[in-house]
Amino acid sequence: MDTAIRQNRPRHGLLTFRRLYLDLALIGAGIAAFFLFPDSLGFLTRVLIMIIMVLSLDLVLGYAGIATLGHAALFGSGAYAAGLFAVNFSADPLLGLAVGAVAGAVIAFVSGLILLRAQSLTLLMLSIAVAQILQEIASKERAITGGSDGLLGISMEPIFGIYAFDFVGQTGYWYALTVLTAVFVLLKIIVASPFGLAARGIHESAERMRAIGTPVYWRLVAIYTLAGGVAGIGGALSAQVTELVSLDALGFSLSAEALIMLILGGLGRLYGAIFGTVIFMTIHHLAASVDPFNWLFVIGALVLIVVYFLPEGFIGLPARARKLMRWSP
Amino acid sequence: MPAISGILIDGVSYGMILFMISVGLSVTMGLMRIINLAHGGFALLGGAAAHWLTTIAGFGFVISTILAVASVMIIAMVLERSLYTRIYRFTELQQVLATIGITFLMIASVNLLLGSTILPIRVPELLSRPIDLGFRTLPTHRLMVVIAGLLTAAALYYLLERTWFGVRLRAAVDNRNMAASLGINTVKIYAITFSLGAGLAAFGGILGAELLPIDAYYPLRYMVLFLVVVAVGGMGSIAGSFFAAIALGIIDTAARYIVPEYGTIFFFVAMMLVLTLRPNGMLGRT
Amino acid sequence: MKKLLRTLAAAGTIVLAFAGSAAADHTVKVGVIAPFSGPFAIWGKQFKNAVEVYVAQNGKKAGTHTVEFIYKDSGGPNPSGTKSLAQELIVRDKVDYLGGFVFTPNALSVAPLIQKAKVPTVIFNAATSIIVKKSDYFVRPSFSLWQVTVPMAEWAWKQGIKTAVIAVTDYGPGNDAEVAFRTTFEKLGGKVLDAIRMPLSTTDFGPFMQRIKDKNPNAVFVFLPAGPPSFAFVKSYNENGMKAQGIQFLGTGEMDETTLDALGDAALGLTTAYHYSGAHDSDKNRAFLKTLEEISPGAAANLASVGAYDGAHVLYQMIKAVGSDRTKAVAAVKGMAWESPRGPVSLDPDTRHIIQNVYIRRVAKDENGKLINQEFDIIRKAVPDLGLPN
Repeated sequence: MDTAIRQNRPRHGLLTFRRLYLDLALIGAGIAAFFLFPDSLGFLTRVLIMIIMVLSLDLVLGYAGIATLGHAALFGSGAYAAGLFAVNFSADPLLGLAVGAVAGAVIAFVSGLILLRAQSLTLLMLSIAVAQILQEIASKERAITGGSDGLLGISMEPIFGIYAFDFVGQTGYWYALTVLTAVFVLLKIIVASPFGLAARGIHESAERMRAIGTPVYWRLVAIYTLAGGVAGIGGALSAQVTELVSLDALGFSLSAEALIMLILGGLGRLYGAIFGTVIFMTIHHLAASVDPFNWLFVIGALVLIVVYFLPEGFIGLPARARKLMRWSP
Repeated sequence: MPAISGILIDGVSYGMILFMISVGLSVTMGLMRIINLAHGGFALLGGAAAHWLTTIAGFGFVISTILAVASVMIIAMVLERSLYTRIYRFTELQQVLATIGITFLMIASVNLLLGSTILPIRVPELLSRPIDLGFRTLPTHRLMVVIAGLLTAAALYYLLERTWFGVRLRAAVDNRNMAASLGINTVKIYAITFSLGAGLAAFGGILGAELLPIDAYYPLRYMVLFLVVVAVGGMGSIAGSFFAAIALGIIDTAARYIVPEYGTIFFFVAMMLVLTLRPNGMLGRT
Repeated sequence: MKKLLRTLAAAGTIVLAFAGSAAADHTVKVGVIAPFSGPFAIWGKQFKNAVEVYVAQNGKKAGTHTVEFIYKDSGGPNPSGTKSLAQELIVRDKVDYLGGFVFTPNALSVAPLIQKAKVPTVIFNAATSIIVKKSDYFVRPSFSLWQVTVPMAEWAWKQGIKTAVIAVTDYGPGNDAEVAFRTTFEKLGGKVLDAIRMPLSTTDFGPFMQRIKDKNPNAVFVFLPAGPPSFAFVKSYNENGMKAQGIQFLGTGEMDETTLDALGDAALGLTTAYHYSGAHDSDKNRAFLKTLEEISPGAAANLASVGAYDGAHVLYQMIKAVGSDRTKAVAAVKGMAWESPRGPVSLDPDTRHIIQNVYIRRVAKDENGKLINQEFDIIRKAVPDLGLPN
């Protein structure tokens, strides 16, 4: 897996957009989806929001090598912050996004101070603990958060005061697609910047980075905080589009599913986060209509096939296919 | 003070149940160093088999337990030879994903065959009565688990520290290639140890079922709990898991006595404290 | 972009206008959203079985309209997923009605949607009082926590129970149950010696049992989610000798018929107050059970079954009265009364919530040795939702 990452590492800052054609194709696909599936915009919007969450996880895990099973802590904090802000202060969507981003970043920074001193299993467990504690607090503070009933009373104003949220989900879709595109571009710039390269360096050899004078711990905290902001934006979007936040936004299963989506797609290349999320959620959506009771068979098999035969994830598929073609007579 | 003795008695007996259900994990994950999220899956298979044997096939509790544990050990052996041999060489993250995939398939199978509701295991009437300790009563079942836990701990200690198998196993997990070149059949050792871990998972699942009831989603519901015990105890240490389980049992019970409304928060904060102060767990090796 | 959006929005409106004004005598679709996967899959199964029983007994037609049910899986508590499913059902599948909903946040998430789209929505379960206030299109023929808890407290007082300890699972419904029991019991003159909020994830109830025993109350009122917590609590209640000490168990939905068998003899004699028992003694219920057995042999009837069965009844009556002209549907069933498998019921014209009898039951064995909730007393007839301030 490491070689795969190395091969794709941008060699120069200017190469940020060397896959520009792919980026444009993805945005095109996002626009096309609106017209191809005009009746499923609610679902498509959820996919876009989940992509933001998984991109954030990719920054943490794929680039900086921080294995976490508590990413919902950041997503959920963003969701609750944006929801509470909308209920109590202002229902302006963009302000809400900013509040979500700040909340996600603050929680990431504070918890990161503890988490990022640890490694492997300990890190996993600490990240789980952070999310569980936050979820428990949200459940207990019923007067503020609504507890297990969910945070009620979110009603967003139109975006820029013009585009009102409609029940078909058209505004929500364009809104989420625009935010996702902005986040994606931002992340592309970041991962190709010296800051992003340092993250990769830490992932590959923390010792070496330390030796050349990089403050490894603080770099990790910075990346985690940044990812917290991104996840917080995802959470805020979710709160605004659903107009309700409930405890599942901080739940273990959200963290675990995000991790599965990312590894299915492929780590450390941003595109993996996109493909993994789209594939996982589409299959889930279809299976949920056909035979939900046995859907775990499908996901279990899918996960095993990827780990055993596509260790780089779905984004390794084209390379694998090429290799197979060459081998066959 | 009755409160303190209550906390200690309930805490130790709960801790022993935590130990019983996670000792299998400290074998596969602690000793063999694989992130084995399928541990709960093996416990589920054991519990589901015991449910089927006691309620549908009509066997007694003891016979059912033996049969269920034995069949899980056989299934584990097959899985080890087919799927796990490659998992050993995976990165940590791939291990997480692979073993979670296996868990999903186990859950889906039990769900399909036995449904998604609780799968009760019929225990002898004797075990479901309270027993009078003089100053207070305790469920007989708890007492049995405490005894079984102590025996299991002792047997494992003996097996790992006092037998040739234990010596070879420790050599194999420390440096597999070196052990192999010394003529130790590491393939066999790994298969046996993994099967043992799965068998212990099944045993713990069955014994703990009064407290952590078995249903198809058991592995996901309690996954975090198993992992906490092993992480706090420290990878590579059965003794660590033992003490961690008891300590966590007492902490969790104390929280329930004193501040029940903050129980969960208390538990996780305690865990974070331990892991922040001792990142490798209580008895973990660096 | 702005222009594009406007055009699209306009197009969407036209499409919807068409859907709304469809002619009479066509197929009317109902979307049912419930968990069909994961740990709560039993709910979806119970819902579907009960709806099929209703269809088997009453035919596929409501009046002149053919009714088609479309089932969608929401998984567990998942408002964002539920809302997008509802959107898809309304926009793509063109359903005129919605039904189902097990969890409160899921039901609440569709409130703004059905209000804007004017889709009558029949709640088969979700029991938090406030839900029906969040949209004029909600109708709830299930129950609410206050509705069943208040009669439990009243009955306990009447039996000479003077002191009680409250032990509830610490989350929304548990807190509601605690307040409902305490308010009623104390108003009557009873004394609440202690109130314990137990963590949701707990299945080791030993410490709480000790605390309850130390207080030595006449009774312990509990609220626990069905499944592992109820199972472990009842086991613990017996194993710790509470029954022997004479502390009476009072509850509501803990003795759910789908998990009652799992509890075994440990459950015998436990008293609960609830709106439906699978063993309710009436011809209507016997007919219901008979058809259920034909459709799904071995299935138990529980609160989910009766909620969905009556839900289907309400939906049929709405469709019969107005077809797809759904804006008038809710008005058509307000105040409606009918005979349900749970007994005589009606819909409160003010709250759109069901008015029903609440029965006191205890767990007993029927002639085949199967555990049932035996109804033996009615403390209050025709109970409305007591949790809504009037």
